Amino acid sequence: MLNQWMLIGALAVSTYLSRIIGVEVMAGRKMRPALRLYFNYVPIAIISALIVKQIFIPSEGHLDLSFPVLISCISTAIVIKITKKFLLSAVIGILIGLLSRYLL
Amino acid sequence: MDNKKETIKSAFMEALPLAIAIATYGLSYGVLAVQAKFSVVTAVAMSLLVFSGSAQLVTVAMLAGGAGLISVLLTTLLLNLRNLLYGAALAEGLAPSKKWKRLLAFGVSDEPFVLASSRFKKVGPDPLYFAVVASLFYFAWIFASLLGALMGNQMDPQKWGLDLAFPVTFAALLVPGLKGKPIIGTALAAVIISIVLEYFAPGNQLTIIITGLLAPLVGLYIERRSKHA
Repeated sequence: MLNQWMLIGALAVSTYLSRIIGVEVMAGRKMRPALRLYFNYVPIAIISALIVKQIFIPSEGHLDLSFPVLISCISTAIVIKITKKFLLSAVIGILIGLLSRYLL
Repeated sequence: MDNKKETIKSAFMEALPLAIAIATYGLSYGVLAVQAKFSVVTAVAMSLLVFSGSAQLVTVAMLAGGAGLISVLLTTLLLNLRNLLYGAALAEGLAPSKKWKRLLAFGVSDEPFVLASSRFKKVGPDPLYFAVVASLFYFAWIFASLLGALMGNQMDPQKWGLDLAFPVTFAALLVPGLKGKPIIGTALAAVIISIVLEYFAPGNQLTIIITGLLAPLVGLYIERRSKHA
């Protein structure tokens, strides 16, 4: 619990600092285009890595591929591509994942 | 006065569709935070004090996967770097707010940046517009987090498939943004790098941060090559 509050405090400070430094210090400065692109690509990389870590689960020193997680991710990807609705695609992904968990 | 009313009205109208989207992310965040062993109080406190969808979702996902405080903080630091870009780009438009600027800076993130930068291009500096947009998003985020945490608290995670909510949320966040070769290249590189890292050291703490540092370089390389082609 104490750890959670410490983490929340540290996150609050570091996130606010990134905002205020941008507004106060970086204002008016031209950032190199490559750096801009790099910063914009970072979330894509981190989210992709998080998905991989959910699909491949470590078990006794090796990796196991979780088919239900893989199937639910693919289903969500397809549904959001078609409908563009976040919540709907998440719910359908979970339902299909649950179904495949029972069937596989 | 009429001008102010007009600004508030257009800020509200333009922000409302995005506020609904933010609320759906907030709902997911609340459910996931409880799965990562946060209480309703700490889950909502994080939304109140941090107010960053990406940083908070990544934090709870990493904690649920067993990550430690340091690796979570380093990853969110990396993730927050783009706030520097947003802040720098919005600074001129927020300048007339003077002493309030430091408060308004708290609202700098992806969605307010998109709306405010297009507004500033159209009408020049307009801190009031930004204040209304950011406040609306803030309240949407907090109420949705609370609702999500309360829902998550009532559900049996295995029965409802809430453990699947993590990968599914991230897939839904990732896919709409996958446009253009550099971004798709970044995502593919991230998948390969993280699989390799996990293969050689399963469950290690550094996979996310190393991937977050290296994969964007592949995106940059592809971008540069397509420019020179």
